[in-house]
Amino acid sequence: MKPAPFVYHRPRTVEEAVALLGLPACKVLAGGQSLVPLMNFRLSRPRHLVDINWLPGLDGVEWDPDQGRLRLGALVRHQVLATHPLVRRHLPVLAEAAGHIGHWAIRSRGTLGGSLAHADPAAELPAAMVALGARFCLRSQSGERWVDAGEFFQGLFTTVLAEDELLTAVEVSVDQSARWGFYEIARRVGDFALAGAYARRRGGVIDLTWFGVGPKPFTVELQAGEAEAALEQVLQTAAEDVAARQWAKVAAMRALQRAGR
Amino acid sequence: MEHSRPQWTGARVARVEDARLLSGRARYLDDLPLPGCLEVAFVRSPHAHARIRRIDPRLALAMPGVVAIWTFSDCPVRLLQSGVYPVGQPALADGEVRYVGEPVVAVFAADRYLAEDAAEAVEVDYEPLPAYVDLAAIVEHPDWAVHPPVDNRYVHREYATEGFDQAFAQAPHHLRVRFRTRRQTAVTLEPRGAAAVFDPASERLTFYASTQSPHRMRGDLAKFLGLPDHRVRVVVPEVGGGFGMKANTYPEDILVAWAALKLGRPVRWVSDRMESLLADAHARDDIHDVEVAFDGEGRIWAVADHLMADGGAYPGYPFSGAVGETGLAAQVLTGPYQIPHLKTTIDCVFSHKTPLGAYRGVWGPIASFVQEGIVDRVARAVGKDPAEVRRLQLIDQFPYRNPAGLVYDPGSYRDSMELALKAIDYDRWRDEQRRGWREGRYLGIGISVFVEPSAMAASESGSIPYEAATLRMEPSGKVTASLGLGPTGQGHETTMAQLIADALGIAVEDVVVLHGDTDSAPLGGGTGGSRSATIGGGAALTAAERLGEKVRRVAAHLLEADFEDVVLAQGQAYVRGVPSRALPLAEVARIAYTDVARLGPELEPGLEVTARYRPPLPMTFSNGTHVAVVEVDIETGLVKVLRYAVVNDCGTLINPQIVEGQIVGGVAQGVGSAFLEELAYSEDGQLTTTTLLDYRLPEATDVPPVEIQHLTTPSASLGGMKGMGEGSLIAAPAALVGAVNDALAPLEVWFSEIPITPEAIVRAVRRRAEAPR
Amino acid sequence: MTEGANQKTTAEEAVEVALEVNGTVTKVLVPSRWLLSDVLRHRLGLTATHVGCEQGVCGACTVLIDGVPTRSCLLFAKAAEGLAITTLEGVLDDPALQALQEAFHRHHALQCGFCTPGMLLTALAMVRQQVPAEPETIREYLSGNLCRCTGYQYIVEAVAEVLQAVDRGDPAGSPALP
Ligand SMILES: Cc1cc2nc3c(=O)[nH]c(=O)nc-3n(C[C@H](O)[C@H](O)[C@H](O)COP(=O)(O)OP(=O)(O)OC[C@H]3O[C@@H](n4cnc5c(N)ncnc54)[C@H](O)[C@@H]3O)c2cc1C
Ligand code: FES
Ligand code: FES
Repeated sequence: MKPAPFVYHRPRTVEEAVALLGLPACKVLAGGQSLVPLMNFRLSRPRHLVDINWLPGLDGVEWDPDQGRLRLGALVRHQVLATHPLVRRHLPVLAEAAGHIGHWAIRSRGTLGGSLAHADPAAELPAAMVALGARFCLRSQSGERWVDAGEFFQGLFTTVLAEDELLTAVEVSVDQSARWGFYEIARRVGDFALAGAYARRRGGVIDLTWFGVGPKPFTVELQAGEAEAALEQVLQTAAEDVAARQWAKVAAMRALQRAGR
Repeated sequence: MEHSRPQWTGARVARVEDARLLSGRARYLDDLPLPGCLEVAFVRSPHAHARIRRIDPRLALAMPGVVAIWTFSDCPVRLLQSGVYPVGQPALADGEVRYVGEPVVAVFAADRYLAEDAAEAVEVDYEPLPAYVDLAAIVEHPDWAVHPPVDNRYVHREYATEGFDQAFAQAPHHLRVRFRTRRQTAVTLEPRGAAAVFDPASERLTFYASTQSPHRMRGDLAKFLGLPDHRVRVVVPEVGGGFGMKANTYPEDILVAWAALKLGRPVRWVSDRMESLLADAHARDDIHDVEVAFDGEGRIWAVADHLMADGGAYPGYPFSGAVGETGLAAQVLTGPYQIPHLKTTIDCVFSHKTPLGAYRGVWGPIASFVQEGIVDRVARAVGKDPAEVRRLQLIDQFPYRNPAGLVYDPGSYRDSMELALKAIDYDRWRDEQRRGWREGRYLGIGISVFVEPSAMAASESGSIPYEAATLRMEPSGKVTASLGLGPTGQGHETTMAQLIADALGIAVEDVVVLHGDTDSAPLGGGTGGSRSATIGGGAALTAAERLGEKVRRVAAHLLEADFEDVVLAQGQAYVRGVPSRALPLAEVARIAYTDVARLGPELEPGLEVTARYRPPLPMTFSNGTHVAVVEVDIETGLVKVLRYAVVNDCGTLINPQIVEGQIVGGVAQGVGSAFLEELAYSEDGQLTTTTLLDYRLPEATDVPPVEIQHLTTPSASLGGMKGMGEGSLIAAPAALVGAVNDALAPLEVWFSEIPITPEAIVRAVRRRAEAPR
Repeated sequence: MTEGANQKTTAEEAVEVALEVNGTVTKVLVPSRWLLSDVLRHRLGLTATHVGCEQGVCGACTVLIDGVPTRSCLLFAKAAEGLAITTLEGVLDDPALQALQEAFHRHHALQCGFCTPGMLLTALAMVRQQVPAEPETIREYLSGNLCRCTGYQYIVEAVAEVLQAVDRGDPAGSPALP
């Protein structure tokens, strides 16, 4: 299990980085916690690796009190997300979810941007972004564009990211009136989820967002009170398998419970 | 001879091995500096079954760093045990591949990166053929053959006690169950590997092996390479776990040794994790179709079992796990219970999967799972508490001859169960359980009373019924011991030193125990089958007694005392009752080696002995009881182990701390066996679990704290030890599965397949909920 | 059907990699694709770092990067330039590590020892971060380091003992020896 050869690049500016992304068979290297195992297996064999870990300004966690908005750089490590005071204050549900990713050593290296770009259907963060209604900033040589999380994820390990695009930041507007709950079912600590869910309660409206159910995160809106019965129905189509359906339902119910009344 | 009270044996002596391991100075196989060493990468079969039409290495041969590329014709060796099995695995596939992961081509290159590059570039043209993967189907299709014209059912045995049919027919109640254990494997944290260096000056081959059986490995290499055995030296460096998996000799071992000879350079192969999941010995792929006859009290009259095992594509060498698992399970199927009648039919078949070998406990975890499953079902059928039904029939008269003919030496079967139930506070948990059920909480208590046949004359690691030790008291009075054992973390350097130190009246620090080097150790069987403490310990004790005798003879001569009156203690030889008439052992030893004029004519210079020990019985049975308390989340199917108690009886404890370490480690593996670990194959024979994310080992958060108590019923062997390395994994899956079944009793859900996955629980519970009442 | 990659891999150039390992910067010449675990072990001779999976799962290859436990099998040596890498060899004089070694020894927290360097480094980082000494917390922190031999119990006890000593304010985290 040794990776195939590649050329290593360490750009020092975002401009330099996105220019390099034009190279053939080029890949971004962030935390490497998904990419390097794939390379060790030779399931991924880029010819050029662009290491973005040394780009300035990509690891920030910033709170904009005027807009009520949290801005997270693509290089924010999972462990930072799980423990950062600003995240814990304004989006405790995100901090909680980040704490469920892998193990300490994985979280200390893996990045927010990497997890989103990788788009594992059973990963915590892509669904968190969909649930939170986040927007992603994508940079390329031709400039930058903003994409809603809901549009970003296309399916199993696929996103709208173009090959020469870099995800640089994430913005989340914090809705002070919402109450959040998170629940994940996994075989072991650190395993990818069998099913997981985020629940948001706003007055009588409930939004449920799942991961580990289907090829990409998805959200369903329900009215409080009808929750359980409606869930059954929604999940009939979402998961073909009895057990998967059950996990999806249980994760949602428990997340909802945690969101409180 | 006057014995001072043993000072070391039975004490919690912290291990002498630890210092090097804790400082990272220990050298495992891949840490050995071997200048100029070639690394190996294998091209492994991507098909479960295919004909090899053509292998074209030309492109690969031209790649940087590549030294050689071999196919079967370059190393035409088969790991064949003639007279035992009809087929043997070729060192590299010979015209046909029979499992995914089978080595097909070996690439030797300057480093592993380059070797893998070249392995990718070797072109192999396969013609895929149908693959036989499912055990039950294979057993039902005698016409399917992995090695035509060889009978695919390569082992078939039948056995029945006299009067079985009558007893079975007369019993008032009967039940039938199919038990299934899914494929699992040892997963030593240090992967398997081998390295070889040929020295043209001495014309000797040094083979570094991560193995449990150094001498057996030497014998195999000598045999297959056609070398005289005194020209082969096997050296076992630090080994990062074995668990039976490292007891076999593998095709890769042969290849590495042969390549070092032919290429004239050191060669090393270290398995990566994907290879290890594909090509280390697998285990536990068994089905038991069981019928039980019992009465209304819950007394079991007779058990019939059709044991089937999927041996994989070839018999593991020299130990086929399928044969070991079924053959011995058939003999201990009645466990600790007085069940008079037994009928067994064994079928071991070939399949297009990885060969089965040993994994800790081999037959034991399967037999216990079946036997405790039977007892629990009978208890439920007659409406009695499972502990009560066990009390009815636990063996309490020794020696006991079980219906398969094995003779159990004395043990503490009843006491161990009662003590374990007390330790866990059984009655309180039963109350708790009833309360829980009313509130929708599913708590369960599982009991597993086990027997562990240990120290067998023939086990997977060596089929010699004895062990040997060479002991040398050096001129300084310190002792060097050398044994043929192959420890993989069990702490033999400490336990053997404890035994030797007591026998010679010296300190543990004054004994160095060497092992795993066939140049220094007398021929031994290695470590496996829980034989080291009993047989190896017996050898260490015998050698130490004899060395002590030699020392005392010299001392008696020097002290002008009667031999009978000389006592060894505290590093001295002294005359009984006259402590002032004493000589330090250092002085005795110095004289014995270098001042031999003082010895007189009748005493031989030097202080060195080699002794061999054969235990008096063909095997000795450890026993004990595990009790697990679990909570099942019936909505998610996840199981949490709340409490776990063990009462263990392995006779004399050399070092309780080391015994406890073995127990806790085995319980953790039991958690893996019961709930987490499965080598899953697709229908076309692809192994789908090739990472440690898919093949789930228990993490620190999956394993409960284990409460341990000891009972000691000594064996008849020297020192009274019984083997115990496997008992905890033998007992644990049964306790855990029993606890889950117990928890789900109100739902009438039974599991008879391991691992029990959350998916299986969710499905079973839902099926139950949806079933018409 | 023809299997095997037809893509020819050309000879790759070794590049200079300057690694700061255990406080010293060392330059090695290796191809960019070499994993940090391999460079530490096979180029720098630091074999306390073990390799158990190269899949990021087992934790045997744990090193500290800027003080935090990290998988050295998921980091290219070239990408580790500029990071402060600590292996077990680099902390043998650290009193907190010595306290852990001592506790591991007394509690029988190791058998084959293959997982041990990784466990010790994770535990050392826990001690430095003053992780609470509760068994559940300790298990959680250690969950990324697999051990196949010990069943973890005595590892948890050993780490708890040292963390408690830290809690009590013992500077080295060294418990009183019996
Ligand atoms: C043992 C183990 C357990 C794990 N458990 C979990 C888990 O439970 N839940 C979970 O969610 N994850 C888990 N992971 C994966 C981990 O979270 C990864 O960190 C994450 O998926 C990828 O982030 P990274 O920074 O490591 O990205 P990398 O591995 O560096 O990259 C991943 C992919 O994203 C691309 N990429 C990275 N950053 C950018 C960017 N800024 N812009 C564009 N493309 C980019 C890369 O080119 C690559 O294709 C686990 C990993 C391991 C090894
Ligand atoms: S070798 Fe790095 S995690 Fe296993
Ligand atoms: S001691 Fe062997 S893996 Fe931990």
